Amino acid sequence: MKITVNGEAKQYEQAVVTVADLLVLEQVASPEMVSVQQNGDFVATEQFETTLIHDGDEIDFLFFMGGGSIPDFSNI
Amino acid sequence: MDLTEQQIERYSRHILLQQVGYEGQLKIAQGKVLIIGAGGLGAPAALYLAAAGVGTIGIIDADVVDITNLQRQVIHHTPDIGVPKVTSAANKIAEINPDVRVIQYHSWFNPDNALQIISDYDFIIDGTDNFPTKFLINDACVMVGKAFSHGGILRFEGQTFTHIPGTACYRCIFPKVPPKNLVPTCSQAGVLGSIAGMLGTIQATEALKYILGIGDLLTNKLLVFNALNMQFRTVPVKKNDNCPVCGTNPSITELVMEEQAVCELKTK
Amino acid sequence: MIHTIDITKEHCPMTFVKTKIKLAQIAQGDLLEVTLKAGEPLENVPRSAAEQGFIVLETKQLHDDVYQVTIQK
Ligand SMILES: [Zn+2]
Repeated sequence: MKITVNGEAKQYEQAVVTVADLLVLEQVASPEMVSVQQNGDFVATEQFETTLIHDGDEIDFLFFMGGGSIPDFSNI
Repeated sequence: MDLTEQQIERYSRHILLQQVGYEGQLKIAQGKVLIIGAGGLGAPAALYLAAAGVGTIGIIDADVVDITNLQRQVIHHTPDIGVPKVTSAANKIAEINPDVRVIQYHSWFNPDNALQIISDYDFIIDGTDNFPTKFLINDACVMVGKAFSHGGILRFEGQTFTHIPGTACYRCIFPKVPPKNLVPTCSQAGVLGSIAGMLGTIQATEALKYILGIGDLLTNKLLVFNALNMQFRTVPVKKNDNCPVCGTNPSITELVMEEQAVCELKTK
Repeated sequence: MIHTIDITKEHCPMTFVKTKIKLAQIAQGDLLEVTLKAGEPLENVPRSAAEQGFIVLETKQLHDDVYQVTIQK
């Protein structure tokens, strides 16, 4: 199956069936830290397991990115 | 309002630009930008906005300068260690450009002061380093219809987008604060200092474009870059009808500070 | 209406900066007569004005190395 992942054309030997499968293949360690777009539309986290991926799909993984330092919330 | 001879010389490189010119420089001089967090992203943004002659720059940060900040927070210098970040930043801005009026808020940006503070500004720069505040900035700006620039950096990567009313917001992309245990810990995090400069200056550029009304803003797209291979990518993102704050049926109607991991290594 | 500006004492890029500011202050369709020196100013000011959408109508020598360029907004 051919899929474009983050702008890069990729070919998979394995059967990629769902968004969750692709996350495993792409070694995304924490699916909760990623937002997934399939052909420009967001896939809700709860639907990763049930959303099917099709040949030719464009998938984007968008990751949470905070900052380089760590906040101190003790005085909020 | 007119520019003095000195100001004409100071801003000559702006005035020369067809898209800026004398009128544009006057717009910049009347512009009001709020920088939330005088850290890695806020520091370069503040330096360039001050140099550009933005009339009013608000800076909110409750922290004091720490030696670990100096690797990337370039508005703070070694003698500033222990000084409130807002004071340190205001001092540098005054040195760069005495035309700029700096408004200091030595506190955290929180649900109680958020709407009041942002209402005084044209454009808001998210220079914070934590998710709860990023979501709070987003929600507050969406609720009152303010333009803002989101920025995030981690290790060698950065991401940013600009929101103006009616375009995709942070929650359209990331509906909720990531779970506590998954946020990288202090030891895992780390960032190449110059990445902060790359991103903060993009945010400052968006603020200037917004004030000037020129070009195309980073709206409905997320710019992501990886400095290791120096690849930049713009991912189109759509306003999400199911967005909890800007969607058709929003579940978030008042400001709250959501929970997130507190770093155990931080010592005060 | 015709306006004038003397930039013979200015150096690049203030030559065009001053010209641009004057152009910003006059009405659409008005003329600006720019007095400038030969060399860099005479080469660059009319060219920059044209690039930024103004109309360069005429260039004439006043005396020695002093010229006058007429620009329409
Ligand atoms: Zn939204």
